[in-house]
Amino acid sequence: MTQGPDSTAGASTPAVELVGLTKAFGDIVAVDGLTLDISENLFFAIIGPSGCGKTTTLRMIGGFEEPTSGTIRLHGEDVTGTKPYQRPVNTVFQSYALFPHLTIYENVAFGLRRQGIEKSEVNRRVGEMLDLVHLAETSRRKPRQLSGGQRQRVALARALVNHPRLLLLDEPLGALDLKLRKEMQLELKRIQQEVGITFIHVTHDQEEAMTMADSIAVMRDGKIERMGEPVEIYDDPRTRFVAGFLGASNLMEGQITGSDSVTLTGGHRFHVSADKLVGLAGAVHVGVRPEKIHLSPEGASPAHANRLAGVVTDSSFIGVSTHYLVQTELVGELTVVVQNLGVTRFAPSDSVTLSWDPDHTFVVAR
Amino acid sequence: MTTRTDAAAKADQRRRRVPYLLLAPGMLWLLLFYVIPMFGLAITSLQEGSLEQGYTFTGNIGSYVSVFTTYLPQLRNSLMFALGATVIGLLVGYPLAYAIAFYTSRWKSLFLLMILVPFLVPFLLRTLAWRVILADQGVVVSALKTVGLLGENGRLLSTGWAILAGLVYNYLAFMTLPIYVSLDKIEPSLLEAANDLYATPWTAFRKVTLPMSMPGIISGTLLTFIPAAGDYVNVELLGNRNWTMMGNVIQSKFLVIIDYPAAAAISFTLMAIIVTVVVIYVRRVGTEELLT
Repeated sequence: MTQGPDSTAGASTPAVELVGLTKAFGDIVAVDGLTLDISENLFFAIIGPSGCGKTTTLRMIGGFEEPTSGTIRLHGEDVTGTKPYQRPVNTVFQSYALFPHLTIYENVAFGLRRQGIEKSEVNRRVGEMLDLVHLAETSRRKPRQLSGGQRQRVALARALVNHPRLLLLDEPLGALDLKLRKEMQLELKRIQQEVGITFIHVTHDQEEAMTMADSIAVMRDGKIERMGEPVEIYDDPRTRFVAGFLGASNLMEGQITGSDSVTLTGGHRFHVSADKLVGLAGAVHVGVRPEKIHLSPEGASPAHANRLAGVVTDSSFIGVSTHYLVQTELVGELTVVVQNLGVTRFAPSDSVTLSWDPDHTFVVAR
Repeated sequence: MTTRTDAAAKADQRRRRVPYLLLAPGMLWLLLFYVIPMFGLAITSLQEGSLEQGYTFTGNIGSYVSVFTTYLPQLRNSLMFALGATVIGLLVGYPLAYAIAFYTSRWKSLFLLMILVPFLVPFLLRTLAWRVILADQGVVVSALKTVGLLGENGRLLSTGWAILAGLVYNYLAFMTLPIYVSLDKIEPSLLEAANDLYATPWTAFRKVTLPMSMPGIISGTLLTFIPAAGDYVNVELLGNRNWTMMGNVIQSKFLVIIDYPAAAAISFTLMAIIVTVVVIYVRRVGTEELLT
């Protein structure tokens, strides 16, 4: 069911190959021996907290930063040490970096003119691209006369008009407000599918990455901590850091006590699917996402195999869902998110049973 | 309710008065010390007579005619030296401003200070210092003689080159600082974007850096050309009689010969020519900047 990004590529050369890529600024190692293949036509997101090396990685692929060591290959060709203007790559910059002295039309035409493309062809392609991002009517304006969302789309058009085989996006939606950001996420995804090229998208926003990306790499301290499809790494984060960075988790201390079970420090046993224990042993954290937990009144038969008893201490209604804090005797306080489907709602001091599917239980190293 | 709208109307009225109040001191200053003297000067330029008999207004335009019959060489000198100082100043000042804006990160303020420090010394003294630098026995002359750029009896002081050097030096800060300000505003990411869009560093300079620094270039060249065209100190201290500029003529007419109508007429003519040159220049460069 779940196919890794590598297996979809088949025999074709990956769009990007990074081999042992390292970048040090003085004593600080920003990117530490990164090895990574990104296959063709993939929407690939690199996420992580600030300072994890994600932007430096992107800048090295774009040619703005020279790696200290390692190799960068684009579609099989070694481009390490070449200049940005020699690479078939275009970038959407964090601050958009639109040329303030040029019109929107001239901004978008900039790359085509540098490549010496014929005037009528430039005209056609710029027009086409401005249509794609719904900005045809602004072509004669200057960047400062446009709104943030419009500028963002100009930056995208200016990069895409060159038909790069690889597009780099450096926190492209960071400067937009929430509503616009949601719109642009869908828009970016639509455009990526329409033009069919590889996107590498750097962001610190895990939700944004999961919304758009086919594959996500979570970076920490210059290394990739976890990589895979959004669903795969969300459901099985493998490390405590990834579990905390991607969405919210309830983590409980325990020991692996069988091929498919973990026993809590207090003696309570949970079932876990065997593949989630591969490569782990001994002391671990067992985890479950707040929305995977089912609440039932005390005494009623619980819906799932993994169970805990507790008392509701807080409930807050936020439209689509209700967030509960449940105090348990064994593992302290857990967060539970329940969809508002009109079934029973619980109030503080209600005694409840928490239950969840063993398939929704994950384990991370302690 | 009516009291509220009354108060609002009054506040509105007060708000409308604010810009005028802010403008008033400056306008008054300009009126007293600029507009009125200009009228005086205009009237003087149309007077006739001599110092002994006094000058009377006759509407005589003879003084203006003599500007073009007598002082054409000085006018040519003024414009040539001003143009030369502007061009050389731009060639020296632009790289200087560029280096400070892009390559001095931590020492930026120190370099800017170094440009301004000479201005703590009065204009006259600074120019006098150049007499020492360019003196016949000085280092520069002997160095140029050694490499053969200057003949056995060659000298720098009292030549056109000395005047040019003095003008360039005296106005270099006015050239450099406005250019620095416009270069400093350019985000490094803009140059990265240009590189990303297949522009080599040279093309990125031509298509992004240069057009974006155009406002600074225009201000810098104007701040050099205008005062340089009216300068008389550099000729006086570093040049000789063959290179007299309009400024020297005006100065001697006003203060030495005391021929007020002639001095006034020359001043007006020089002003008119400078304004014409500046207007043509700004319009040309301004529109070109819009086209690229």
